[in-house]
Amino acid sequence: MKEGKSAKQNQQQQQQHQKDHLSPFKLAKLLDPEASWDKDQLGDVLHWIRQVAALVCGLLWGTIPLVGGIWIVLFLALSTGIVYGYYAMILKIDEEEYGGHGALLQEGLFASLTLFLLAWILVYSLAHF
Amino acid sequence: MAATPHFLSSFKYGDALNVVGISVCTALVCEAISWVLIYRTASYKTLRSSIDKASKKLETMKATTATSAASSAIKKPSKSKKMDRVESSLKESSRDLSLFKFKSGAVVALVLVVVFALLNSLFEGKPVAKLPFTPFGLVMKMSHRGLQGNDATDCSMAFLYFLCSISIRTNLQKFLGFSPPRGVSGGLFPMPDPKMN
Repeated sequence: MKEGKSAKQNQQQQQQHQKDHLSPFKLAKLLDPEASWDKDQLGDVLHWIRQVAALVCGLLWGTIPLVGGIWIVLFLALSTGIVYGYYAMILKIDEEEYGGHGALLQEGLFASLTLFLLAWILVYSLAHF
Repeated sequence: MAATPHFLSSFKYGDALNVVGISVCTALVCEAISWVLIYRTASYKTLRSSIDKASKKLETMKATTATSAASSAIKKPSKSKKMDRVESSLKESSRDLSLFKFKSGAVVALVLVVVFALLNSLFEGKPVAKLPFTPFGLVMKMSHRGLQGNDATDCSMAFLYFLCSISIRTNLQKFLGFSPPRGVSGGLFPMPDPKMN
C-alpha cells in the first residue's frame, strides 16, 4: 500500500513538473519565429490579441474621453496593424500557408469591434455623465 | 445586496451595467443549455471530428495540388475527383451539424427571446448609455430604437444588448472551445454560433 501511494505521488509530481515546464514553453512559443503553428492555434492567438487590443482601447478612449466616429476607424487600423505586425514581423510566418492576409486579419475582427464599442460606450457613459 | 442597486443609481447610466450583467448571465445560461443538449453528445463530437479531419485533408490536398501544378496532367483528374469527394463530404457533415444544432438550438432561442422581451419591458423608451460618436443609417435605427427626442447619441437597450451578445457570447464560446469549426464558419462577420443566437 505504501508503494502504491508513493507511486501515485511520483506520478502527480511528474505531471506538475510537466505542467510547470509547459507553461513557459507555451509563452516562449508566442514570441518564437522558429516555432511551427497549426492554423487553428494561430487563428486563436490572433483572435485573442484583437480582443485584448479592443478592451484596452475601449477602456482608454472611454476614460480620456476620445469622441467621434474617427476613433472607430483608428481602432480598426491600430488593431489590424498590431495583428499584422505580430504574425509578419515577430512570428515571421508565410501567410500563404494559413490562407493569406485576409484570413489572418479577419480573425476575431467583428467580435473585437463589438467589444471595443461596448467598452468605449460603457466607460464613456459611466465616467463622464 | 441592497447596496448594489444604490451604487448603480449613483450613475446616470447605471442601467447599462444592468444590461451587461443580464447579458453575461444569459450567455452563461445559453452555453450551459447548449452543452447539455449539444456539445456533450456523441453525435456532435463525431460530426465535429469528421469536419475537422475533412477540412485539414482538403487544405493539405489543395496545398499539394498548388505546388505540383506543373506535374503530369494524368494525376490531375483523379486528384480533382478526390478533392471533390472530400469537399462534398465536408459539406454534408457541415449540413448535418447545422441540422443537429438547429433542433436543440430552439430552446436557447426561446431563452434569448424571453430575456430580450424582459429587457425591453424594463428599459423601453429609456436611454441606457451615451454614445461617444454619432451613428447613422442602420446603426442609428438600432441605437435610437424606441427613444424619444432627436439626440442621436442616446443609446437604447437594443443596441447595447446587441453589442453585449456578439462580444460576450463569441468570446465565451471561443474560451470554452464551442466555436464552430473553421471549415464551416468564415466571412468577415462571423457571428457567435448562429443556431445559438
